[in-house]
Amino acid sequence: MEERPRAVLLKFPGTNCDEETARALEVVGFRTEIVPISSLTTETLDGVKLVMLSGGFSYGDYVMSGRLARLVTEQKIDGALKEFRDNGGYLLGICNGFQILTQLGLLPEGSLVENTSGRFQCQWVKMKKQADSPFLTLLPDEFEFPMAHAEGRLVTMTAEDAKKYRENGAAAMTYNEDVNGSFEQIAGLQDETGRVFGMMPHPERFLHREDHYDPDWENPAGSPSGESEEKWGSGYYLFRSLYESVTSSN
Amino acid sequence: MSDSESILDQIAEAPADHYRVLKISDLDGDKLLELSQFMHLSLSKEDMLAVQEIYKEWDREPTDVELEVIAQTWSEHCKHRIFGADIDHEVNGEKETVKSLFKTYIYDVSQRIFDSKPGFVLSAFHDNAGFIKLDDNLAICLKAETHNHPSAIEPYAGANTGIGGVVRDILGAGKGAKPIASLDVFCFGAPDTTMDNIKAEDVLHPLGIMRGVVRGVRDYGNRMGIPTVSGAIQFDNSYIYNPLVYCGTAGSIPIRYIDKEVGAGMKVIAVGGRTGRDGLHGATFSSAALDTESHESDQQAVQIGNPIEEKKAADFVLAARDADLIEFITDCGAGGYSSAAGEMLEECGGTINLDNVTLKEPGMVSWEIFISESQERMVLAVKEESLEELQKLADLYETELIILGDADGSGILKVTHHGETVCQLDCSKLHTAPTRHLNANWELTTESVDAPAVDNGGEDLKSLLSDFAIVSREPIIREYDHEVQGNTILKPLAGASGDAPQDASVMRINGSERLMSMSVSILPEWGKTDPYAMGTACVDECIRQMVASGADPDRLAILDNFCMGNPDAEEELGALVETVKGIAAAAESYGAPFVSGKDSFYNYFETEEGPVSIPVTILISGMGIVEDASHVTGSSLRRRDSLIAVIGSTESELGGSVYARQKGLTNATVPGTDMEAAMDLYRKYYECVKQGLILSAHDVSEGGLAVTLAEAAFSGKAGLEIDLSSLPTGEDVSVAAMLFGESPSRLVVEIAPENLEKVAAIFEGQPFAPLGRAAGEHSNLKVTRGDDVLIDEPLDELKSLWKNGLAQYY
Repeated sequence: MEERPRAVLLKFPGTNCDEETARALEVVGFRTEIVPISSLTTETLDGVKLVMLSGGFSYGDYVMSGRLARLVTEQKIDGALKEFRDNGGYLLGICNGFQILTQLGLLPEGSLVENTSGRFQCQWVKMKKQADSPFLTLLPDEFEFPMAHAEGRLVTMTAEDAKKYRENGAAAMTYNEDVNGSFEQIAGLQDETGRVFGMMPHPERFLHREDHYDPDWENPAGSPSGESEEKWGSGYYLFRSLYESVTSSN
Repeated sequence: MSDSESILDQIAEAPADHYRVLKISDLDGDKLLELSQFMHLSLSKEDMLAVQEIYKEWDREPTDVELEVIAQTWSEHCKHRIFGADIDHEVNGEKETVKSLFKTYIYDVSQRIFDSKPGFVLSAFHDNAGFIKLDDNLAICLKAETHNHPSAIEPYAGANTGIGGVVRDILGAGKGAKPIASLDVFCFGAPDTTMDNIKAEDVLHPLGIMRGVVRGVRDYGNRMGIPTVSGAIQFDNSYIYNPLVYCGTAGSIPIRYIDKEVGAGMKVIAVGGRTGRDGLHGATFSSAALDTESHESDQQAVQIGNPIEEKKAADFVLAARDADLIEFITDCGAGGYSSAAGEMLEECGGTINLDNVTLKEPGMVSWEIFISESQERMVLAVKEESLEELQKLADLYETELIILGDADGSGILKVTHHGETVCQLDCSKLHTAPTRHLNANWELTTESVDAPAVDNGGEDLKSLLSDFAIVSREPIIREYDHEVQGNTILKPLAGASGDAPQDASVMRINGSERLMSMSVSILPEWGKTDPYAMGTACVDECIRQMVASGADPDRLAILDNFCMGNPDAEEELGALVETVKGIAAAAESYGAPFVSGKDSFYNYFETEEGPVSIPVTILISGMGIVEDASHVTGSSLRRRDSLIAVIGSTESELGGSVYARQKGLTNATVPGTDMEAAMDLYRKYYECVKQGLILSAHDVSEGGLAVTLAEAAFSGKAGLEIDLSSLPTGEDVSVAAMLFGESPSRLVVEIAPENLEKVAAIFEGQPFAPLGRAAGEHSNLKVTRGDDVLIDEPLDELKSLWKNGLAQYY
């Protein structure tokens, strides 16, 4: 029997979406281990295909979100994540994980700052795929995910930079509407290798069809299952895309 | 020299600097009371005399630590002495004596229900939260608390620590339950209160309180990663001085981890935050009334929350539980270590060494350390051989673990500090407070009134949809993460546009095919004139919402959380007694036991114009079992071609309704609840749910049938055409009562046309009638009665009033 690809989910004090994110990874086929950050060493990454950074409030995010998580990670395994990526590893950051990946410099330059509303916003958002990404292959061009954050507004040094991200495919995922003030309505970014992906919305919260707020929600157009009674939500297809990319690049 | 100075002198003469022996044996009652007040003990003269008596028996004087411990454990906050009091009650001229409201109306009633449903309730009343059986392996629990006094003085921190505290209750339930969902219910003054309506200095404006409280809940709940899925807000001027903040949390646990026991030889340990001077006297503070001075002097009683500290402790507790390393656990809440250790060691006995406690600041004296209510601390009893593994887990999750002491089987609670014994109490004495004797009376003065003629139903409806009692809570709901953990199936906002109201919430439970429904009901307006009817209606509404969402009506459990003003005012206490009787009658009739409850007294304020009390306010919150995900039913209209029917009879009474308040009918008769008939309907409705015959169902509550129909249609799928000609009613029911009355036990249901016959057959002989249809061809709410058009309004206009009513103030 084929061995399942291994994923590790780094858990900081305050990380709180670890269980459901690990569950999503397990459902699509990963063997997933949640690793509290206190036990992180460079060896943790041996034989691992995916490093997962899930949602939450690492160290409370009282200073800039993801800042302390970055400092601790660098202190523990300085440079190891970049090496991991260069050796073909995948990294996915969701919400706080996106903020941490951005802080770590693993994604195109930008900052996730307070929403223009000045509030925490828990709501579902419609989104578009803007570029090819190994994380999005099975998703249709438009899909929906819930988001829940106070600091999800992606800003870049200049508005031009964000435009460039749209043109060069770094901005792989955008909101259909301006929900939080993100430049170019960017919801998710990928790096040049395509193996590092960060997004604010929460695909792990839309794993099953029944997770949708509207029980009569229709299948996403182009859903690969083609079943009339779709069992899965869009989140499943995001994680499954990742799984297929990881296993086919072996 | 005044007496208080002589007490000061006495304290000044004490020998040691970390604790003192207080000579109380010669003091008379008045001086004892002064000592109590000087030390902020909140013990009455009778209590202090009882304490004096105990020490005379022991032939010694108490230490300050012991007095503090007794004050904590005898405080209303910890011991609920009013619910245990003997009450001479007079209702409508008839006299009766109630020996313990708790035993008579809560405990005994629930015990009878437990007996009638063997194996359903797995634990109630004695633990931090009550457990019901979810399936063969898992149980769920729910606990709700109030944090009123702290929230009045410092809304952000007060609400923050309110949610933090109730989450710890769940972590300390059984050998540690996992917190899976939270509820929050608030009562505030109206957002548009003007400053000259606030008749006391230093009282915060309701908007300031609301914003602070919501942010406090948000910042703690969101960081803890617990979805806030259920709630309610009431606005009434009687809450200007004493806002109410209820926080509740549900948990899940493997059944084998429910039972816990402390045994001699075990180690007592604490994990989480350090101990400081924040939160001294919180328990005794919340057992007294507020006044302007409280806003200045009691700041020390309000603690500061640190959700990440608690998150780390929670991660530790759940990992330790799953590794079978916990024998007993409880939270550090009111009374701090003194209550937690007291609870843990009350039978077994043991020694706590305060030298081992890690402190936030130096120089804390013994009593301060022992009763500090610093947040984020859990106390555990563990086997000595487990300590090494526990320390590893504490290191892994970066939380501090300290060894507090030992359980020894002596039955004596001993506390040492700096090598001296600073407290030595027989635990059995510690938990026996004098029984209070109180007087209560209540007179029902409501009368039947003529209903106003409905000249313009559309305008009346718009007025209701704009009322603070009814407007959408969306701006607040969106500040809470209600989907973290990825299990919120039925969310607080519903419909095709995700912003229509929902009655109950339904959560998937990891590891089970079954789900949990949660709901709340709070109707203070009813209780102002008819507290008994408020009691029955609250239980009915809470149960009805869970049933509507797909829960099995025979597998529900509820909690009672009371708040009231001054229990020494006979009428206020009378209203409380009547409310308790109401909820007891309903619980028994529905077979929905109480599994936990809490009460908060002294919610009154000395204003410039005299004392202002809140009305007796009961929050009923509930949890119920949903057998299968396919049973989950939302409140929002789903189809463009479906049929709309009503279940339950509409009666003539308008009392307690938002409509009556708007029309100035202040003393109208409040509707009663026919509980047996209601339960029959709920079981039949559940039969329909199991057969998949119900598309959606919305409970009829504030604003009556018209508001319910509008809210269901806010889903945005279609308009509605409704004809009230066949509405099931009692006698002499006015058009106003049909549209806007709030008779309990009613549901509006949506049915696919092909299923109508089947549903009608199930409800044969019951108050059930199809009233109309979803109208895909337009987007108006049209309500007629025969040829009379009562309401015909565009839904987008109605929705905009409802949706923006609170948003403009928040």
